[in-house]
Amino acid sequence: MVNYPEIDRYSALDSPMHRFDPRAKIIAFLILIFAVVLLPDLKLAFIGFIGAVLFLIASKLPLRFALQHIKWVFLFVVPFIVIMPFTVDGTEIFSFYGLTMTYEGLEYGILVAVRAISAVILVLPMIATTRFDITIKALDRLKMPNMLVQMFMFTYRYIFVFVVEFQRTWRAMVARGFKLKTSLYALKTIGKALGMLFVRSYERGDRVYQALRSRGYTGSPRTLVEFQMHASDYIWAILIIGFAVSLYVIPFAGVS
Amino acid sequence: MREAITVKNLSYKYPDGTKALENVNMEVQEGERIVIVGPNGAGKTTFMLHLNGTLHGTEGQIEIFGKSVDKMKRAEIVKEVGMVFQDPDDQLFMPTLFDDIAFGPINLGLKEDEVRERVAKAISSLGLSGFEDRAPHHLSFGEKKKASLAAVMAMEPRILVLDEPTANLDPYSRTELIGILNDLNEREGITMVIATHDVNAIPELADRIYALNRTIIETGTPREIFSNGELLEHNKLDVPDVFKLFEVLRCFGFGCEKLPLSLDDAVSGITKVIETEGGHIHLHIHEHTHTEVRKWKDKYGHH
Ligand SMILES: Nc1ncnc2c1ncn2[C@@H]1O[C@H](COP(=O)(O)OP(=O)(O)O)[C@@H](O)[C@H]1O
Ligand SMILES: [Mg+2]
Repeated sequence: MVNYPEIDRYSALDSPMHRFDPRAKIIAFLILIFAVVLLPDLKLAFIGFIGAVLFLIASKLPLRFALQHIKWVFLFVVPFIVIMPFTVDGTEIFSFYGLTMTYEGLEYGILVAVRAISAVILVLPMIATTRFDITIKALDRLKMPNMLVQMFMFTYRYIFVFVVEFQRTWRAMVARGFKLKTSLYALKTIGKALGMLFVRSYERGDRVYQALRSRGYTGSPRTLVEFQMHASDYIWAILIIGFAVSLYVIPFAGVS
Repeated sequence: MREAITVKNLSYKYPDGTKALENVNMEVQEGERIVIVGPNGAGKTTFMLHLNGTLHGTEGQIEIFGKSVDKMKRAEIVKEVGMVFQDPDDQLFMPTLFDDIAFGPINLGLKEDEVRERVAKAISSLGLSGFEDRAPHHLSFGEKKKASLAAVMAMEPRILVLDEPTANLDPYSRTELIGILNDLNEREGITMVIATHDVNAIPELADRIYALNRTIIETGTPREIFSNGELLEHNKLDVPDVFKLFEVLRCFGFGCEKLPLSLDDAVSGITKVIETEGGHIHLHIHEHTHTEVRKWKDKYGHH
């Protein structure tokens, strides 16, 4: 079988985050993610980070699975940590060969990194604890524009078909001796293969549309789903949003 | 009996100029099982897309239960004509099987409990219980095929159009699907139009065959079509393996009157011969046997 890159692989586990109503979960975590990403202060960002880790632990998602996803963001933010200290003006920590590392730069680089990683950590309890189709339905119930909901739905469905098709093409290429090298020939070949894949996807799009119309599609696929809020859902929502708010209230309360 | 489908002088040209259909005529009675045969590129898929108004002929007319498709509303056609596409991945697009099967009934404007009822019925009649929450990419090809049939059956159409339903199925799933289709035809009187290359399935699936190659070349019962050597040869059509085997047996002196088209036919044919020939079958090799076998080989291009 194919190894699909599935974000909802562990959605069948049981944890407070898994039981959390998907609509409330999305809203509460989105608020917290925005709050964390906009934090201006490193100490607060660390508090946000610790909170994010606690929520991740509460979700009981396997650490390996979580790290897999966090790893990519980490690669993305490393350049900030390296470059920022040398480009932001401020108090000098040390300098060599004309490059000056500043305290402010270092702090800013770490701030960017901590915020980004915290945000990604928070995405996991938000998305990975619900079957993705239910997340999409929750977005629909939250009155997200239907066009976007459909885009999510079709992307979610056909990304897997696309992955399988790409793997098939790739295997066929390898089976005929193709090797991935940084030569013009290799790049051209990959370009052509991708081109074919897009043509095929385009044609599939045509057929999918025909099939949709054959079952009476008029523009908005609707689904049946029941969501119900329980006391625990309100408690978790208040807890998460409360945490987001407190990140901004703490400085004024003179705690820090 | 009523006429379910009437096609008159249908022609279709793709926008790029390919003439896919020319002057196609067809009449299908309610409850009939029609198989369309024809080589790749003969226009089978193109033709079928006309039956539910997905494509509109450049010329000609199609009527469904006496009503012109061109004048029917989308929702009306879709309710009468269910279409099962060749590739289930084209058809299953919802995140879960339940949603996919519910999609059609919801579009028909049914109430929620009615939708749930239809879904439950379609799922159980195709043996898909327990798969409701599965994502399509976690279903096997055979399951996907059944799922796309369930999705169409949930709309309770009176006409079912299937494009190469047995293609790519393993032997078990293939037999199962043929059984399901015949069951639907028998129990619910559903009219069927099936395009297929699977000659061995035709005797079990067809009341009548249409041979298509841009236009209708011939129509008849499976026996009529498979006995028409000239037609088969000219259009590169094949016949069921059982039929071929008994043609060979005939060269060796096996004396059945009708060549069997299916294994069931074969069993009763052999039984009959044994009974009339006094308890055994007699085969022999004479001078003419070799020439006849050679002729037989030539007929099917085996060398
Ligand atoms: N979208 C299209 N545009 C142009 N030509 C097409 C298109 N689809 C099919 N054709 C052509 O129309 C003819 C009939 O195709 P099709 O109906 O798919 O045949 P079949 O299903 O019998 O294999 C073929 O010559 C094919 O190349
Ligand atoms: Mg076809």
